[in-house]
Amino acid sequence: MSLLFQLLAAGVVTGCIYALAALGFVLIYKSSRVINFAHGQLIAVGAFIALALTQRGLNFWLSALIAMTLTFFLGVVIERFFLRRMVGQPIISVIMVTIGLASVLDGLMYLTPYASSNNSYPVNFTGSISFAGISLSSAELFAVAATLIFLGGFTYFFNKSTMGVSMRAVSDDQMAAMSVGTSVQRVFALAWAAAGLSAAAAGLILGLKSGLSLAGLAGIGLKVFPVVILGGLDSVLGAVVGGIIIGIVENLASGYLDTLVPGGGTGAVLPFAVLLVVLLVKPYGLFGTKEIERV
Amino acid sequence: MPATRMSQTGNYKTTYRQDQGIFANRKELIWIVLLLVALLLAPLITPRTMLRDFDLIMIFGIAALGLNITTGYTGLINMGQGAFMGVGAYAGVVAANAFNLNLFFALLFGGLSAALIGGIVGLPSLRLKHLYLAVATLAFQEIFTWGVGHSRLLAQGGAIPAPAVSIFGFRDSFLTHNLFWYYLILPILAFLVLVWRNVLRGKHGRSLIAIRDNDRAAAAMGINPATAKLTSFMLGSFYAGVAGVLLAYFSKSVVIEDYGLDVGIKVLAMTIVGGLGSIPGSVFGPAFIIGLDRVMEQVANWLGGLNLFPSGVDVATALRPLSFGLAIMLFLMFQPHGLASWWDKLRQYVTRWPYKS
Repeated sequence: MSLLFQLLAAGVVTGCIYALAALGFVLIYKSSRVINFAHGQLIAVGAFIALALTQRGLNFWLSALIAMTLTFFLGVVIERFFLRRMVGQPIISVIMVTIGLASVLDGLMYLTPYASSNNSYPVNFTGSISFAGISLSSAELFAVAATLIFLGGFTYFFNKSTMGVSMRAVSDDQMAAMSVGTSVQRVFALAWAAAGLSAAAAGLILGLKSGLSLAGLAGIGLKVFPVVILGGLDSVLGAVVGGIIIGIVENLASGYLDTLVPGGGTGAVLPFAVLLVVLLVKPYGLFGTKEIERV
Repeated sequence: MPATRMSQTGNYKTTYRQDQGIFANRKELIWIVLLLVALLLAPLITPRTMLRDFDLIMIFGIAALGLNITTGYTGLINMGQGAFMGVGAYAGVVAANAFNLNLFFALLFGGLSAALIGGIVGLPSLRLKHLYLAVATLAFQEIFTWGVGHSRLLAQGGAIPAPAVSIFGFRDSFLTHNLFWYYLILPILAFLVLVWRNVLRGKHGRSLIAIRDNDRAAAAMGINPATAKLTSFMLGSFYAGVAGVLLAYFSKSVVIEDYGLDVGIKVLAMTIVGGLGSIPGSVFGPAFIIGLDRVMEQVANWLGGLNLFPSGVDVATALRPLSFGLAIMLFLMFQPHGLASWWDKLRQYVTRWPYKS
């Protein structure tokens, strides 16, 4: 029984990181209907910027802040130079541009020494808390807390600020939002900026929890797919719920199923099986808006 | 999607026979025969190392043509072409090893197994569209990679040797490896192109294009979207399976790394760079991407000699994804119809010279 609780707790921790990663992904899809295959690379870029700064002797918190600011602007630049040209193009071209972007970012990261080695942030996050048979390291607790803060911040932003409300308006009905004077371009840029920022946050938290390697960080970009499909592609709440469910599924699988399967590693593949089932049974996910097609 | 391309305005066909022909006119047939002769003679003047790239271009040309059938002609986005190649390769090679099949039965078996799996993976396409389908094929690719990596029968993704091939008394030897496969792959590619061209002019091919352009309208015209979509998936994965078997035999073994997600994305990039919905584009794309790889190797060698980068940086590993990604993005932003449209423009320029086209 204590194993079950331990796995559930670990699942929630992983799930929080997935939720944070999926948040940016959903923001982009929600406002501009673009599937971003470069999200994992954004996560990695943010994490590596912070690593580069801390290795130069800067305070970790300060460099985290700088990294998030830089990825914020990276998002704006990406939207301005690449995605804005693709408005109205067929879906496959848009997908492919983000794949190309992922490749370019990969290449740029390989030009630094960080991409081909394993690193960790030079900060001390030791000690752990245990209660009721569950033990969580302080890095894990920090991951949950930071995710909650970020999600709270974004929720506040969407519900209270003018820009947040106009983002919701654009995702609801682009034409109508345009006609009342909302700048759709500004909203798209902001969506990418927010995605960049939250991606960097996810990268930082993941880096604190389990170290920095390009494969591990960029791999999150693929893992968000089960999360967002389960939660619904255009739902922020769905990203959170989906993230936590997928995190729990992953941890339960590696806790209970790995012993049954030679070679193990079921945690990596089961989310994708969940994805396929969700697509067949309930394609728009738990909280997604159903697409209605008119001929 | 690319607009219909015609060499001249208007349709000059006057009989049904002409309209139903595989080739547009006799002139085209002559050009194709000349092209084939040129390709048959090409190894005489190309160095042996370059011949290897020609072989790879043709193999990926088959895979890209298959993806073009699914994505370019039918509009179903498939990101798992690598996995379909893998299904073909594993089925073909394992069966060939177990039952002592010769190459052609291995190709057939690999292709048919891939088609069967393609039909199953295509099932979500009956309900899902566009990016949902892309995500479904992505999930299949991940599950395939994991499944092979965890099955003892398939050496857990490690190398399974492919049997040696001999045809009409010619054997695959170390010195003539690339040449041998050049003359083996070329007819297969030519045959598969001919098959697709033939399908394209008939009811089945045209119904795929109708589905791409508007599936509701196509259904209203009496085309069954379910059959058409599944046909497209099965045909596309058959081509992928054949390409996979060829790749396995050509590299003498089958390993999971050759059939991962990155391979599927590479084939997708080849198809887009070449031009979606274009047969010549299916070969131009692989030629461009593989050629780019070779050029970048040279550039990396040159840059690496300059000592510009800190230690621990391998310029070649950085340049490959960098140039690949840039190429895709630049093509999509400035030349969305791919190399095939350049080819058409060139052809028009030549036929209309000295008039401006």
